[in-house]
Parts: sequence; C-alpha cells; structure tokens
Amino acid sequence: MDFRAKLISTLRAIRPVLEVPGVLVLGSEVPNLLEPDAACTLVVSQDVDIGVSVQAHEAVKQHLPNIQGFSASADEPSVWLPHSPENIEINFIGMDPRIQDLSETYVLEDSELPLMVFGALSLVRPGHPVCVGDLSIPLPRLAGLLLEKLVTDRTAVKGERDLLVALGLLALASADDLEELTHEYGALSKESRFAIRSNLTILSLMNPLPQMPDPHAHRDRVAALLRRFERIGEP
Amino acid sequence: MTAGMQERARRVRQRAQLRAWEYRQRRHASGVWFRLRRVLADAETAFDISEEDAGRLIAEGYATEPVGDELAPKKTIVFAPKERILHLASRREIPLSLGAATLAARAIALVRWP
Repeated sequence: MDFRAKLISTLRAIRPVLEVPGVLVLGSEVPNLLEPDAACTLVVSQDVDIGVSVQAHEAVKQHLPNIQGFSASADEPSVWLPHSPENIEINFIGMDPRIQDLSETYVLEDSELPLMVFGALSLVRPGHPVCVGDLSIPLPRLAGLLLEKLVTDRTAVKGERDLLVALGLLALASADDLEELTHEYGALSKESRFAIRSNLTILSLMNPLPQMPDPHAHRDRVAALLRRFERIGEP
Repeated sequence: MTAGMQERARRVRQRAQLRAWEYRQRRHASGVWFRLRRVLADAETAFDISEEDAGRLIAEGYATEPVGDELAPKKTIVFAPKERILHLASRREIPLSLGAATLAARAIALVRWP
C-alpha cells in the first residue's frame, strides 16, 4: 500500500472530524494534496497534522468516539496511533485565531484531546477543499500556511524538509496568493518579518533533497519574494 | 499526561526568545550570516576568482558588498555582469551555498538575477 493510499485511508477514517468547521489538514501533507490528483510525491513523515481551532475543540471531541482504528498515544495524547499499517498517525494540533503574538504557544489541557496550540497557526485561514473521490479534505489558504511555515523556527533535518515544503507551496503560489502573502507579511511584527526573511535566505542556499522541491530550481522565486517583502520597508 | 506537551511548549517559547535575540543582533557582528545569505540570495551564479581579478572588477567600477569586510578573513564580494566575469582567467564557478567553496574563497564574483 503506497503512502498516498495510507493518507487517504486515514483521512477517510476521520471524515466526521474533517467535516467540523474549524478543522483543517495542515503541515507537509498540504503540498502533497495540492499536487494534481493529490499525487503525494513528496517524501514526508508518516503522519498527518490535523489543525483544530480552539473554538471547534468540543465539536471535534464529540466525533472522536466514532473514529475507528485509532487510539491516543500514551506518550503524547494529541497523537492518535493507527491500529493498522494501512493508516498513518494523526497529529492533532491547536489553532487559536485570537493569538496576537506568533511566539505564544500553550497546551489546551483536556483529558480526552489535549492540544498544543501554536501561535504561528493563527496565520492559517480556511481555503478551498480538495476532493478525492467523495472525500472533501479541508485545506488552508496557501498564503497563510506558507507564512506559518516560514515564520516557525526550523532546526536540523526536519527543519530543512519543512523549508522545502514551504518552497513547494511557493512554487504553487498564484499572483493572488503572492499578493495575499505580502499583505499578511506586512501586518506581522518586525521580529517575525525578519525571521521569515532569514528563513528565505536559508532556503535560497539549501542543497536539494531527494523527492522534495529543488531549491536550486526555485531560487529566482525566493529572491523575488525577498525583494517583494523588502519593498514594504524593513526596520 | 500532558507533561511532555508542556515541556514542548516551553521549548517553543524558548526558541521564540532566541529569535528575538537574533533580531536584536541583526545589525551586529553575529548578524553577518544573515547579511551574507541575503547577498548570495540575490545571485544567480557565483564564481571564485583571484584577488587580482577582483581588483580589476573594482577598478572598473563594480562595487564591493560591505558584508565581505565583516568576515574574518575578509572576502571581496562583487556583483558584475556574467559576460564580464566569464572573461576573468581565474574564474571558477562555485555552488551558491554556505558550503566549503564559498567559505574558502577569498574573492567571489556574483551574477545578479535578471
């Protein structure tokens, strides 16, 4: 069973949760799902991030008993482990649109579904869903997710892969997405804007990794985005 | 049950403090790596050239990038048209990265994106 089949099988298994307003598929699976026919050609970890807005938390919990074939990890209760190798891990993470400080991170304590709420995820907004057969997969708007990927601190190999995921999103960005991206970038704090530009310069000089977007092939886009951001005026 | 998550949140907040420190450092010595990456990001291609050839480019009016003076040992970093650089006898194309070739070069000629 290939990775795409596992991912889709997992998303089908949690369909009742995906149908709750305020729930989005996030993380590195997004560029995979945005490929034509959700082809999933990028190499990523074998899990899927499910973003739950704190306002949707109770509604999501009501649907958890209906999800078959998974159980919460004893080590990390926001991770649900598959009982079958035909599915992948589910990583529930929290989104709180009320957060103003992107560095704010807290744990939403709950005996059933505790969530790590990441401030940077407050940049994420619901976008157009992707349909695979009869399954509608709620995805975020590209601009907000790309900013979130770029503003979040990245370390070690996973950090490099996450930046290449950001590159995959940038490669897919339309003119409208870039306009939205620039507008939202301009509303961020100076520290966040610097972090984004710093990560872009790292991305510009990265070496390729197998089955990931090639940074060399997109260096011109990265440089253009840097210049676009700098035109806003930087402290 | 959520002790691990609380610890992870603490580490994320710690990294945020580090980011604020990096921001405050941006115009100081340790911010040089960002400035160097920023200059290199503007380049389509890079060439390791001799210091003599770098001197020729400067004499022809091509300006050096200040970030080169902030490194130790200093590097001469200069943007010039590709066709001019290709006439330099010492030119040797190097990958655009912060790898060994870039760090070892005493003088680097860069071609700006069109």
